[in-house]
Amino acid sequence: MGEPRKIQVRFFAVLREQAGVSALDWETEARTATDLYGELKAKRGLTFPAGLLRVSINERYATMDTPLQAGDRVVFIPPVAGG
Amino acid sequence: MFGLTDQPIDSAALHAKLARADAGACVIFEGRVRNHHGGKPVTLLEYEAFDELARVEGAAIVEEAERAHPGSFVTCVHRTGALSIGEIAVWIGVASAHRHAGFLACRQVIEEIKRQLPVWKKEHHPGEEPQWVNCTVEVLPSRLSPENYYERQVSLPEVGPPGQTALSAADVLVAGLGGLGCPAALYLATSGVGKLTLVDVGKVEVSNLHRQVLFTADDIGAFKVAVGAARLRQHNPLVQVEGLPADVTAANVAALVTGRTAVLDCTDNFATRFLLHDACRMAGVPLISAAVYRFEGELNLFSPATPGCLHCLWSGQDAAALEAANNCSGEPVFAPTVGLMGIMQAAETLKLLLGLTPAANFKQTRLVNLLDGSTCAIERNADPACVVCGPDAVQSASAPHGVDISSVMLTAEEVIARAPLRTVALLEDGEILDAGKAPAAAIGIPVKDLAHLRALARERPTLLACRYGIRSAALARLLRREGIDQVYSLIGGLAAIHPRDSRIAADRGFRRHEILSTHEKNARDPSRNL
Repeated sequence: MGEPRKIQVRFFAVLREQAGVSALDWETEARTATDLYGELKAKRGLTFPAGLLRVSINERYATMDTPLQAGDRVVFIPPVAGG
Repeated sequence: MFGLTDQPIDSAALHAKLARADAGACVIFEGRVRNHHGGKPVTLLEYEAFDELARVEGAAIVEEAERAHPGSFVTCVHRTGALSIGEIAVWIGVASAHRHAGFLACRQVIEEIKRQLPVWKKEHHPGEEPQWVNCTVEVLPSRLSPENYYERQVSLPEVGPPGQTALSAADVLVAGLGGLGCPAALYLATSGVGKLTLVDVGKVEVSNLHRQVLFTADDIGAFKVAVGAARLRQHNPLVQVEGLPADVTAANVAALVTGRTAVLDCTDNFATRFLLHDACRMAGVPLISAAVYRFEGELNLFSPATPGCLHCLWSGQDAAALEAANNCSGEPVFAPTVGLMGIMQAAETLKLLLGLTPAANFKQTRLVNLLDGSTCAIERNADPACVVCGPDAVQSASAPHGVDISSVMLTAEEVIARAPLRTVALLEDGEILDAGKAPAAAIGIPVKDLAHLRALARERPTLLACRYGIRSAALARLLRREGIDQVYSLIGGLAAIHPRDSRIAADRGFRRHEILSTHEKNARDPSRNL
């Protein structure tokens, strides 16, 4: 865990319904996207397994171990179903 | 062009945009809402998109398809919002010069959309809670997750969770996506190597299909790396695969190999082999290299920390000198040989990433012969004067390989011109010298009897000949490095002078009659001449 900083989190589809909101400004010490998801799971009642998620940081796909910076826009991507 | 819309898709208007004077084909795919899924009736689909990322990813998917299938122009629109039965959810149109590129590009776009586009759909069933497709509790255990996918591999004590983590952290380059590269990349992907980069400039040709197992007849004309990357992602969506439609050149080789966990040399020519080898050594990256000649294969692991490199192996000759004799592009190929050697490369790479490689393997050339089923390992010697790996190594990828040493590899013509040479036929385990297949006065020595071979080669100028010329070349190189400078290898091996194989002999420019006239002095038993 590092210094507390503000991350903008948005939710879509199954995660939006589980979180009960579309977006959050989240103050966190989470170092990576994995850490952040663990925190959100515990505090926002998300049940979706982390192993099935991808993540987008600042509107680009990234890896779950990417270090987070203050002001990052983070979206966890559940399995997609386009087409 | 890629678009997202919450309005009904106007198929006719989009169709009209595909008119092009240079397009001889127009391929259209419409994904529509159907009234059933998984045996259950469906009444409505709600599509939700992460708008900003979907637009970026959608545009990238379209551009990638156009790049992979030159001459194709793609228009794609994805719908969001609530859609009733029969409505169009996604529309893809491709205008292309020829139908083949059109079909391939269209297929690539829809498959990539299903894999990458951040769009979700919620299915409404009569009398039930609506469900997010691909995200329901029932499908999760059977869904692709690392826990499910690698279950049978992680349970190996030699792998375990830490090993699987090491594989997923690896970044591996596969240079050459042919007979070796296809199976090698396939097993690396399915084993969970986290990041794979494929580099090959070639396009799929009909004559590739008998051995290049990632490609099908539908892929002819497409870039190998585009088809290969797409297929590997289908096999294992958990790993990242990138395809670079490029040649390995002196200009790009350092950038290609630097920072990789390992590099596989699956190329078919010596110029590229030397480039990759030198760049890997300089960048401190291990190289797993394989080469194939018909039924025989050779495998080498080169560690940047271990002396005994490709130059030691090839006696300091430069790539150009070897090219003519050893370029196997266009050569006949026994498909299982490349398949086996490619899989051995994958196995060696995985062992390396898992820390399972015995130190001795870094010093060995391993030889496999699928005709007689034999395998053997020969220890590579390190040349203390080697310009690349010796103590005074030249630290440049473009170092001159300027050690002046006469050619190891001889054609039959050169053999005749150079007479007298003593011919030593290298015998496999259990094999006896067949007078009908060897020149007169040839001595048969077991290939593994290095001490005897060494002694003979020291006595006088010696030509080593094995069945196909690969083992003899490896041995001749080894003996050269031991300071025996009058030892040679017969290109093409005994097969090239086999009287019944006149086509190979002709290919290799043999003066068959000169060799055979000597043979004919032998009262040979035709029944043994199989």
